[in-house]
Parts: sequence; C-alpha cells; structure tokens
Amino acid sequence: MRKQIAIVEDEPALRENYAAALARHGYQVKTYGNRKNAMQAFGVHLPDLAIIDISLEDEAEGGFDLCRDLRALSAEVPIIFLTARDSELDAVSGLRLGADDFLTKDVSLPHLAARVAALFRRIDALRRPGDAAEIVRRGPLSIDGERMQTAWNGSAVTLSLTEFWIVHALAKNPGHVKNRQQLMDAASVVLDDNTITSHVKRIRRKFQQIDPSFDAIQTVYGMGYRWVE
Amino acid sequence: MSIRLQLLAIALTTLILPWAGCQYARELESALRISQENSLHAAAGTIANALSAEASRVFTDVETGEPFDASQGDLYVFPLHGEPLLDGYREDWDLGAAPRTLPTRTGLAARLLAGHTDRYVFLYLEVDDPRFDPEPADGLPDQGGFDRVDLKLLRPDGAEESYFFATGAPGPTLAQSIVRGDDGVGHVTLAPRIQAFWLQTSGGYHLEARIPRTLVGSRLWIEAVGPAGARAGFMGADTSQGGRVFMATPGLSELLATFIGPGTRATVIDANALILGTAGALPRAGEEALAPAGTWYRRFVTGDTSVWPLQSSAPDRLEGDQVTRALAGHPAAQWLRANPGQAPLLSAAAPIRVGDHTGGAVVLEQPGDQLLELRDRALERLFNMTLLATVFAAAIAFALATWISRRIGRLSLAADGAIARDGSIRLDMPESGRADEIGALARAFERLLGRLNEHAQYLRTLGGKLSHELRTPLTIVRSSLDNLESEGARPDQRGYLTRARDGVLRLQSILSALGAASRVEESIKQAERVNFDLEALLQSAVAGYRDGFPAARIELHTPGDACFMNGAPDLMVQMLDKLIDNAVDFCAASGSVIVTLTRAPSRYELSVENDGPPIPPDLLGRLFESLFEHRPGAGDKPHFGLGLYIVRLIAEYHGGRALAGNRSGGSGAIFTVILPLI
Repeated sequence: MRKQIAIVEDEPALRENYAAALARHGYQVKTYGNRKNAMQAFGVHLPDLAIIDISLEDEAEGGFDLCRDLRALSAEVPIIFLTARDSELDAVSGLRLGADDFLTKDVSLPHLAARVAALFRRIDALRRPGDAAEIVRRGPLSIDGERMQTAWNGSAVTLSLTEFWIVHALAKNPGHVKNRQQLMDAASVVLDDNTITSHVKRIRRKFQQIDPSFDAIQTVYGMGYRWVE
Repeated sequence: MSIRLQLLAIALTTLILPWAGCQYARELESALRISQENSLHAAAGTIANALSAEASRVFTDVETGEPFDASQGDLYVFPLHGEPLLDGYREDWDLGAAPRTLPTRTGLAARLLAGHTDRYVFLYLEVDDPRFDPEPADGLPDQGGFDRVDLKLLRPDGAEESYFFATGAPGPTLAQSIVRGDDGVGHVTLAPRIQAFWLQTSGGYHLEARIPRTLVGSRLWIEAVGPAGARAGFMGADTSQGGRVFMATPGLSELLATFIGPGTRATVIDANALILGTAGALPRAGEEALAPAGTWYRRFVTGDTSVWPLQSSAPDRLEGDQVTRALAGHPAAQWLRANPGQAPLLSAAAPIRVGDHTGGAVVLEQPGDQLLELRDRALERLFNMTLLATVFAAAIAFALATWISRRIGRLSLAADGAIARDGSIRLDMPESGRADEIGALARAFERLLGRLNEHAQYLRTLGGKLSHELRTPLTIVRSSLDNLESEGARPDQRGYLTRARDGVLRLQSILSALGAASRVEESIKQAERVNFDLEALLQSAVAGYRDGFPAARIELHTPGDACFMNGAPDLMVQMLDKLIDNAVDFCAASGSVIVTLTRAPSRYELSVENDGPPIPPDLLGRLFESLFEHRPGAGDKPHFGLGLYIVRLIAEYHGGRALAGNRSGGSGAIFTVILPLI
C-alpha cells in the first residue's frame, strides 16, 4: 500500500512542487492550504507522514497548533516542520512539539524525498523486532542507524533527523574533522555555516541535558567539528 | 563676520544718537548766540542813542579830537571804587593796572599811576632813588639839593598852577608852591588842599598824592627831580601840548547803571577807546568754571571757539575789532574767548554820535548766555546718558550675540556629531526645548535626523527583509527546477536547466550575503560567553584559511602562549572569516596576509594586514559602517558593505573595537581589532 503524505503549506506553487516530487517517489500525496482543512481531513483519516509549514495563511504559528492537534490524534505519525527562516529552527526545536525533523523551506526536493524515505524507514524499523547489527558504539554513545535512535550512557537522546545524521557522521569516524560541507551532505541539507553551528550547539545541549559533562563534539576553529572519545 | 561682531556693529550704530544730539546742540547754540548777539546789539544801540542825547554829560572837558598819546605825557586817570588811604602804598587802589613808566630825562627812573574818585584825583609815583635827600627847612626848588616832585596843573578855569612835593622826613606831607612876591622873590607856601604821603623804601620813594578834582582841569604834568637835577617825567613848557588828562566822566557810571541789568557790563569809551565810565559786573570767574572732567567732549558739543580773539586785558582802554568798528561808526559785536575755563564773552559795541562825528562808543559785555550754560549741562548729561546707553546696548548685544552664537555653535557641533563614526544617529539635539527660532531649528534637525534614522534603519533591515521575502519565490523556482530535472528534460534542454540552477545558486548566495548582518545580530543575541584561548583559536582557524585560500600566503604571529579571553569563539571565528576574506580580496593573487596577535598590558590587538592598495584616508572612519562599500573593481562575489560591519558588531560585542589603517609607506592596509583581556 502506498504511503500517504499530507502536505500543509499555504503557498500553492511550493505545495504543488513538493507534492509532485513526492508523488514521483511513489507516495500518495494530499495537500492542504490551511489548518482547518488539514485538521478535518486528519480527523477522518490519518496520513502516514505530515509535512507542515509553520505559518499558515493568516496564522503565523498555525503549524504549531496543527502539530499539537495531530500529535493528540497519533503519537507515531512522523512530522516534518518547514520554516521560512534558519533563525526559526532554534525556536521550533525549543518548543518540543514532538516533530521528527525541522527543515528550512529551501531544502532541495531530492533531500526532502531522502528524509521522507528515511523517516518511513525508521517507522518500519521500529515496528520490526530489533536486531543489534546496525548499532554503532562509541564509548557511552550508541547509535542505532536503522531506527535512527541515539543513546548516551543508555539514556535515549531525542534528536531530529538532521541532528541524528550530523551526530552519525561525526561519530562514525572519531577524531576526524568534518567540515561544514561534509556535515551538510551527511544531513542532506543545504544550510549556511551559521546554521550548522547552531545545529551542533543544539546537539550538544541535548546531550548535556543527560550528561552535563558531555564534550565529545569538539570545534576545530576554521575547519569544522570532530568527535572525540 | 561672526554674529557677535555683527550685533556689536549694530549696537554701535546707537552712537549716532549722541552725534545727532551734538549736531542739534551746535545748531541750537549758534541760534542762541545769534539771538544773544542781536539782543545785546540792540541794547548797546539803545544806550548809545540815549547817551548821544546827553553827549555833554558824557564827554566833558577832554578834547576828544586828538588821539591819546602817552609819549606826549597824556595820562589816563583810572576811576577808583573807593578813596585809598594816603600811605604810600597802592595796594588799596584795587586796580588791575600797573604804574606806567615815565620817560627818563636825565638819570632817574619813575613810574606813575593816576586814579580818581568823584572828589579827588590820586597820583601814585614810584621813583628809583635809593638815597633820601631831605628838603632843607628853607630850601627852594630851583636851588636843588633834595628830592622833589614837581607838579603842574591846568585848572578847569584855564589857570596854570605849579606845585612841588618835598619833605624833610618821610611821612604825610603837603604840596608846596612858590609864591613870588612883588619883589620877585619866591616864598614857599604850603598848599593844604593837596595832601600827600612820602614813603621811603630801600629802592627809592613812593609818593601818593591827593588833589581835589576842582583843581584838575584838562592837563597835568608831573616830574620827579633828584638832588643833582636828574629828572624823570613830563614837564611841558608849552601848556597847550601834552599832559592831557583823560578821566572817566563823573556820574557816567551811575547813569550807565540805570541802563543795564545784572550780569552785563556796560562801558563807555571815548574816541580813543579810553574808558569813560563803566557799570555792572560780569559774573566772577570761577562761578562759570566748567568741571574739567566734562570738558573733553565739549569739543563735540560746542562750536569752535579757537578763532575767537582773547578778551582785552588793558585796564584803561578797550580793544578789539568791535571797538574799532564802533569808533568808525558801525555797530559791531564780537565773541571773545575768556581765559581758559571761563565762559566765552559777548561784546557788542555801538557808536555814540556827537553831532556828525563819533564821539565814542558804548560797549556791552555779557558772558555766554546762562541759558547756553544750562543747555550745555543738559547736553552733557544727554551725551553721558546716550553714551552710557550705547555702552549698555553694545554690552547687551554682545552678550546676546555670544549667547546666540554659543547656542548655534552647540547646535552645529551636535549636528556635526549627530552621525557618529559608527553610523549610529543621535536623535536628541541641544536647544530643542527652546521656543525660539534656534529651538525650531533644533527641532527641525531632530525631525530630519529622525527621518534619516528611519531611513538608515530601513536600509539596515532591508537586507534581512529582502533575503527573507525573496526566499519563498526562490524556493519555488528551485523546487520547480528540481521537479523539471526529475521529470527528465530533453538533452537539449539540460543546458538551460543548468544555467537556471546556477542563476538560482547565485541568487541564493546574494540573499545570504544580504542577510548576513541580521543573522550575526541574531546570533549575537543568543551567543553564550565562555573563556577560550584566542591563540589556539587563531592557530586552528588560520590553518583552515590556508586550506581555504591556497593561493594566498597567510602568516600568523602570536605571543606563543595561551591568550585567554572571554567571549563567543564562534563569533570570533566569523569575525576572523570576514577579516581574512577582506584581506584576501584586496591583496594581489600572490600577496601575503599577515595575522598578528599581540598582548598589551590591558588588551589584545588582533591585526590582519594585506598587501593591497592603501585605503583612502577619508574613508578610514567609515569602513565599519553598515552598508558602506568601497571597492575599486567589482569582483565576482556580491558585496553589500556588511563584512566589516559584522567585524565591528562582533568586536563591540566583546567590548572591543575595530580600527582601519594603512601600513606606513602605503604598502597595504591593516585592520586591527582591540579586545579586552579577561
């Protein structure tokens, strides 16, 4: 059965472009221009994944409300947030709405498709009983590449998909400096340097919430970051 | 010309007030003078007419036809105000005149003064004859051998009488005459009506004699004779020549007094200008004396008096143009200068006609009118006050101008400094609370600056806004291109797609550059400060730049040990990015960039030098402004004048500042960031 994706985006051209691209990847796509229509449809039938724009028509933060409502209906549906600005990523992340990823709207369509696929893969992996083959361990860190889950000292660290890919790229080769471009490629995003910096900052913060002495991600000024054990 | 000087100049125009006052005063003065002249003239004419009707009372026995000739022994007899004591001294005569020297005939010097009252004629003779030779008891004048004074009188009835004065001892004496008996032998007899006093002094003797007027006719001769026959004086042999007595007419002064009022002096003179009678008195000198302090500007107020002749000082006669003219038959008036410090004197003369010739003249003298004096004083005060007012006005104007120009100066200083070096705009102007025009100007400045500020603010945010607003359409284009590519374009269309994608990428980098400053401002707000080693950061960052810019030679000089500071290392790296970017952009392809960190006692100095062209000096202060761009040749990358602005933002966030300069010698530019130690 084809996965159904709901796109809630008030900009019609963008909406249609996303829809066309995802349809080409074999998904069934439903598009909505505002929160009301989307919520009505979700009430009838839950999508398998939702891509939600934060500002919807005249509701500047309508996407947040929609996300909350959708989470109330289902705890599992993967949600991808789209923001107009990099600078909003921090704010969105800080809200802990239970979204699985945050992206800026200028994400390229192949990248978008890649992370949609990844999220579905994760859902599938989570449903399957675990085999530990994919788990990478780096000291206290364990990364489950299949389920895209991270744990530090055994406690799960809730990372967004982008963040997960960054951590994954760093931890795969400890001691190697990854520059920003490499991290962007790994995370399937096109971001500017500042955004990578703020992603890394957020990742550190999330680890530090579990372990205040966390400092495994080191900044190599002028070059990038590396994972130290 | 500053406002201060302008207002001062305007204030000085009030000097025209005293000047105009002076002009008016001069005109007033000359009008008053003319009117005083006229009235005095008229009075003199009236008196002259009245006197000419009584010519016989005025001109008595004197043959008025012939001129007075002192060398012939003519004698002016001064009117005396009271009878002097016969004591050999003339101090009590109260006359300004000095004794006149008699001609020395043989070896004797003598001086004579004559005066008269209504009843007597007084003679005063000084003879320089130190040795006193007393008269022997039986001495006769013609025998000589003693000091003697001869006197000859022509009585009013025409009889001629001779007397002599001699004495056995100095003191009161009487005149003596020689009466010849029938036998021709002379006897000396005393003439008790003619009294005298003989005073012997060290230098000679004084003789003061009193002769009843009834004895004195039209002529009188006197001569001092020494014991050896030395003589001084006149003793005319011919009684029709010389020795004429010119004397004030009795009663004339009283008559004159009836004509004149106070403050005027009337004098009647005969055809020889000798005084016949005088009445009235001029105000005494001193009463009219002007305060010396007030005199310096009287030259502005009063007319020029320097051409006026001086007042006549001869005691027995009047002199001057007006007198000469009056005696020639024409009334005349003349202003005279008195002695310094005294009021000027007006003298008007009118001829007294006797028959068909001029018998004499009346001269009226009056000091410069009292009214003129009063006017002078009023003007003096006016002058003082206007001068004071001018000084006051000038002072006020100067103070006002100083105040105004200081306010304008403050305003212009504030206007100059309203746009700070960093491009920030100060909106509050001094003086804007004032209600006057300068206040209005200040408020206008404030409004103008407010607008400018809004505009600058708008420009500053424009980049961010643009990059935000353009993002959605750009995303639409990009996603459309993505779709188009995925749908599978024909090979001949690939080229277009690639070009469109390149264009989009460029557009994206432009937008990214435009929004760079607002992103940095954003991250500054969220930045977290930590202590970090600036030296290590530089080492690592410069290594990165060497990879990033393989063509450029990037040198790093550091103190060599850890340089800790407090701040946001990410921001420091961003700042360094901009500085290195800038330096690499400006230096030649093979140029070198030198990064230097030095530690001063209280700060770090981080400088980035390049080999590029020096920065024009007038731009040095503006390089760190937002949206300021100066690039001689436009490169490939878009520049919006934000790079160095970001450097400044980050430096200021760290409590430091950014400076631009040139290498000495003009071989390159140096950008220095000064950062505080921990």
